[in-house]
Amino acid sequence: MQQVKIIGAAALFAGTLIVVWVTHGTGIVRNDPARNISIPDQLTVPFQVQAAYNDTTMFFRYRWPAARPGILHDVLRYEDGKWITEGAGVPGSDPNGMHEDRVAMMLDDGSVPEFSRYGGYITIGAGLEGLTDEAPEVVTKYLPATRNQLGQWDDMAPDGTLATLRDAGYFLDLWHWRGGRSNPVGQADDQNISTGRDGDAGSASYSTNFDNALGQPRVMFDPATAGYKALNWDDVVAGRVSQDQVYALIDGQVLPYDPDAGWKNGDVLPRRILKPGTGSRGDIGVLGQGRWADGFWDITLTRALDTGNPADDKILRDLGSYTTAFAIHRNATGLRWHYVSLPQTLGLGREAEITATRFAGDTPTWGNTWTEITLYYPGQVTWPMLNSTSHAGAEYIAKGVPVKYRHSPEQLTQYGIEVEFKSEIRPQWLKTLFAGLALIAAFGVSLNLVLAQRKEV
Amino acid sequence: MGAYHTVAIHFPIALWMVSSLAIFIRVATDGPIGQAMDRALKVFLVLGVLAGAGAWSLGINIWPWETISSTPMGRNHMMMATWSLAFFTLLAVTRFLQGDRIWQGASRWIMALLALIGVILVGITGTLGGHLHGSYTEVAEWLRLAGWEVYSTFYVPNGTIWLMLGVAAVMLGLAFVKLGKSEG
Repeated sequence: MQQVKIIGAAALFAGTLIVVWVTHGTGIVRNDPARNISIPDQLTVPFQVQAAYNDTTMFFRYRWPAARPGILHDVLRYEDGKWITEGAGVPGSDPNGMHEDRVAMMLDDGSVPEFSRYGGYITIGAGLEGLTDEAPEVVTKYLPATRNQLGQWDDMAPDGTLATLRDAGYFLDLWHWRGGRSNPVGQADDQNISTGRDGDAGSASYSTNFDNALGQPRVMFDPATAGYKALNWDDVVAGRVSQDQVYALIDGQVLPYDPDAGWKNGDVLPRRILKPGTGSRGDIGVLGQGRWADGFWDITLTRALDTGNPADDKILRDLGSYTTAFAIHRNATGLRWHYVSLPQTLGLGREAEITATRFAGDTPTWGNTWTEITLYYPGQVTWPMLNSTSHAGAEYIAKGVPVKYRHSPEQLTQYGIEVEFKSEIRPQWLKTLFAGLALIAAFGVSLNLVLAQRKEV
Repeated sequence: MGAYHTVAIHFPIALWMVSSLAIFIRVATDGPIGQAMDRALKVFLVLGVLAGAGAWSLGINIWPWETISSTPMGRNHMMMATWSLAFFTLLAVTRFLQGDRIWQGASRWIMALLALIGVILVGITGTLGGHLHGSYTEVAEWLRLAGWEVYSTFYVPNGTIWLMLGVAAVMLGLAFVKLGKSEG
């Protein structure tokens, strides 16, 4: 009988271990829009880059997969006499497919030394919009030294210090291509990151197509050129609006809004009016059409090596060495629901992770040699957290050890998700640890008691 | 502290691996080699538990509690190390309490099963420790293929925790009920 009991206890023990293995990692990680949490199904995305330059101009070519092109950022939908805004932004993917696809590239010349080691992580300060603990006002990416204290988003450094930092080049150049708000006018949004994520001097390529005083759009499509005065909501939601038709309201190609044009439910107008950006903000152009095809975006951006705007842009030079980091938005996402890269070195005619080749002529002839980069969903890892006791690698950051020395994209995306559920996972882990100990101890006691009975029999 | 833990941890790992090997050999044969292994096993198990407790103590002092309990790899390493120590303590206690009779009947195969689980636990613990130290192996890939992404914390849902506690209670009840009948 004791034999049966021993085998039974062992079977119970082993069987429970199997259940533990099968069920581990479940029960906590789930989307929670109320806390700004939405985990993408796919955690990493392949991304390809090529770079080239001639005497005057820099070219970057980016390629990445996207199931369908996000070419409408937000729209106005006509419903029972009113125009309703769709695509205001939600955690994760917009259910109606709103929000444009994007590719963004941060660029530095060494003036922000932490950037070469930690990439975009240094820009994720406390309180950023979209975090679970976002600030009560909109806070965008910023560099650490623009605040007096780490983790204090509202404790801005003195104006004099900020101006001196800027003069010293303490900002990141941000090339920000937008599938809906800049691509139709052949531009990327030229921005920078310093005290926040701001546009360069000049005007943006987009403005709002809504007159709040009149409660109606400002412009509409010109039926003579577009073939219609509005898009259709069902087509928009189904992704049937393509780059082969007129889908953007471009200044000079539209008509003033006519409230008596016979609007019907389901008519849709883009919420943005596009016009090429001016000044430093309009420095970056799109070479060609900026097209999506066969499940991939293939975008080439171009900018003068020297824009003449050193306070906004990182000036590029022949044989220069720089650092870049990339991000994409796809699947109708905005804010922090993007995929990012670790920092990558860029060399103009110099060996680097991304080597820009020098060429003669106006446009580069791209070969098939790409720099392959893995982008990943970064979760909610902030720079203050990385420098705190919550991060075992904080001491290595203090020593200047680069992130790539210890971490991979595949690893970081898991860590990023864990941080989003830190308050739930830690106690669950502790409960699991002690339950495991209880199981081992109970099995030990049971085994020895039963075996002791066998000796007594 | 980390460097000392790295040095110290090799002793229990070696002792536990050798202990497991000794158990496997003893289970396989009652001959002179098996008998010799069993004699050595008692020493290895005791030394392994003592060395393991020492290395475990060093390990939990490498980082503050806030740090190790916030880091997925730290959590996983600590959990597996604790379970490994508990497991080989169970083996040592069982071997000493039961004496040579442990190798009779079904209990000999139970010892083999426990040794196998122990080897797996220590192997995972060492793999995670290597990752924390910056030395990566393909074992993590094997675990990934088996269903565990080692860069995420190992935890189970409440339902499984209740199952674990329930099974623990059943195992204890099983033993005590039987003991009562024997005594009666």
